Amino acid sequence: MPHVMISSKKCTGCHMCELGCSAWHEGGFQPSRARLFTDVNPTTAVIKGHSCLQTGCSKCQEACPENAIVTKQITVTPSGAFANKEKVGESVTGVVLVVDEDKCTNCGDCYDVCPYGVIHEHPERKVAYKCDLCDGDPQCIAFCQNQYVLAVDLKVDKADKTLVVEA
Amino acid sequence: MDFYQGRVLRIDLSAGTSTVEPLNEKWRDLYVGGKGLMLRYLWELTTPGMDPWSPENPLLIVPGPFAGTNVSTASRVVLGGKSPASGTILDSYCGGSFGSILKFAGYDMIIVQGCAPELTSVLIKDDVVRFESAAKYAGMMTAQIEAALRQDFDPKVTVLSIGPAGENKLLWACVSNDQYHKAGRGGTGALMGSKNLKAIAVVGTGKVEVGDARAFLEDIERIDTDYILTDANYWVHEEGTPILVDVTSGGGCQPTRNYSEGTFEGASKINSESFQKFRVKKRACYQCTLACRNFHRINDVEGEGPEYETIALCGSNVGVDDIGALMEFNHLCDEYGLDTISTGNVLGLAMDMTEKGIHDFGVRFGDVEAYLKVPEQLAMRTGIGAELAIGTRALAEKYGHPELGMQIKGLEAPGYDPRGSFGMSIAYATSDRGACHMRSFPIGPEVIEGTMPADTLDESKAKFSVDFQNHYAFKFCGIWCDFWAIDYDQMRMLMKHLWKREVSEEELAQVGERVWNLGRLFNVREGFVRADDNVPKVWLEKPFTKGLSAGKIIGVERFNEVLGEYYSLRGWDENGVPTEAKLSELGIDVRL
Repeated sequence: MPHVMISSKKCTGCHMCELGCSAWHEGGFQPSRARLFTDVNPTTAVIKGHSCLQTGCSKCQEACPENAIVTKQITVTPSGAFANKEKVGESVTGVVLVVDEDKCTNCGDCYDVCPYGVIHEHPERKVAYKCDLCDGDPQCIAFCQNQYVLAVDLKVDKADKTLVVEA
Repeated sequence: MDFYQGRVLRIDLSAGTSTVEPLNEKWRDLYVGGKGLMLRYLWELTTPGMDPWSPENPLLIVPGPFAGTNVSTASRVVLGGKSPASGTILDSYCGGSFGSILKFAGYDMIIVQGCAPELTSVLIKDDVVRFESAAKYAGMMTAQIEAALRQDFDPKVTVLSIGPAGENKLLWACVSNDQYHKAGRGGTGALMGSKNLKAIAVVGTGKVEVGDARAFLEDIERIDTDYILTDANYWVHEEGTPILVDVTSGGGCQPTRNYSEGTFEGASKINSESFQKFRVKKRACYQCTLACRNFHRINDVEGEGPEYETIALCGSNVGVDDIGALMEFNHLCDEYGLDTISTGNVLGLAMDMTEKGIHDFGVRFGDVEAYLKVPEQLAMRTGIGAELAIGTRALAEKYGHPELGMQIKGLEAPGYDPRGSFGMSIAYATSDRGACHMRSFPIGPEVIEGTMPADTLDESKAKFSVDFQNHYAFKFCGIWCDFWAIDYDQMRMLMKHLWKREVSEEELAQVGERVWNLGRLFNVREGFVRADDNVPKVWLEKPFTKGLSAGKIIGVERFNEVLGEYYSLRGWDENGVPTEAKLSELGIDVRL
């Protein structure tokens, strides 16, 4: 199933993914509310990326007592200058995990189990919020478009090495 | 207003207090941000003839309006004040993440004044500003202080700090962000040190509004594709500035052994190709897709750089072609917080005077062992560092050989000798902070592209510098990085989002001209006259003996003639003072 992966080895630490993510979802640039993030140590330049593996992980869904983490059908068509020139515009269809905000009670069980720290309480709406692949045009990929880096990438399955979009 | 937070954080270190005041909207509209806004506040906050070391001399920290968005390369921040090194305006820029994070914390500017009673850190988390003793951080290197603040304050912190050189108020101490980014020139670190300010640490969690964010994202994605991630910009990522070593040495303008020649026989040992063998990784500044930061590992030293200026001044200019020693020297300068351009100049001068028998400083060209001790000696003012710390101009004068000191207005010269690029003489002479290559860069057409002759100086070169300076004065309001050769059309596309209307090239050029004239007016107010718009005499009179530029001289007379033409193109009088007509035309609201 489609999900976004950050290659910590390729990442240059520019935080463009967080910027694009937050602007698309929150209406302004606010990386503290991005749905994925990179930890960058500026001195050692060691980077660790954190992103949601969707159904490749599903720990949030399993932990939710309210069944508020639900699957949603989605067709993902990455854009961006260089998210692989040949394959930009190619689509992959599958499901992502999204929060049903009517059901979510903000109990926090999913926050505790997420291995990547990418599901949190929304400071204003007081419900869980997480990556939903931007309705099919992931902004993190669109802005990780250094053709020579391409760290944020769309993958189909965590264990599946045949990638749909890969540098 | 979108993009701006509308708030200025004012810090009084003497009192240990901070206040938030609204951003002056009139100045915001006239001067946009970065350099321009900084200069307007600087004018207001200084009195004529102010001692740069006085507590009232402000340290201004100003990002551009596009910091904290995904406009590529625009995370940069300017540090300003009256320069302790030159007495001119001080505007020194660094990349990293400080500019963006400061915006997320909710500020368009920090004004620091006063002097703390003891070494202090200012810790900012959004609206909360705290002052803490930095006694336990005293003497810390730049990497150490950042690591300490990540542990003691917040793991997500971005830090502006000084190393030991800044604490000891060395004239060319720099300010660091994210360890490898330096506001290098003009003594920003000395200014910070004079205020007993070791570090400013910021955590920002807020939002930068841009209006319709999704429409903005769409347009920025297009601009990235069409104008930033292009084949023409590829060198920035793949090679970075070391690419210039072959170009300048081949072109006969690479400072060699205290500017005695323009071609270095060891250039091929310290060029881009040589460094690429030791490349370990690439990193980017915050919000930059170009990722120019090259990390190398040589022997046991790993870190970013060196960049071209360091290779030229701390390599060829001191006769060093040992790549490992150069890597280590660069690392030491980073850690102690030294500007490598000034360091390489003062050291080249000391070596030159030693070789010529004027005075024995115990350092000679190419003597790697003595060379590697110098960064610490300068920062701690020990050994020869105690004497070299007075700077190139004072040192050359002290020993009766001012002609050997490569400086303008007290600021040491960068890595492009005008004898191989005549236009650089006017560019350097008219630069608003002393010898600086980032105001006008005739090296581009004269040496890199070969679209202008390198060995002529006439009115066209004066015109080139006028246009370039206006362009860059606006670019540094943006603040876009030097490595994105952004033209007016591209700036118009971005400014359209800021001003919510169509924007013409003329009005952007006019903002640039306004900013340039305001800087000039400041320098005139501080006593700078035509005679100060000069360059080291040898550049005009003493030809090189080797390389492409051998035998070519500009001549004093020719230089003065073209300087006059420059003033006249600027609408300044024959003494280089902006005329009333020019100031009114530009809407500048201050007068001498």
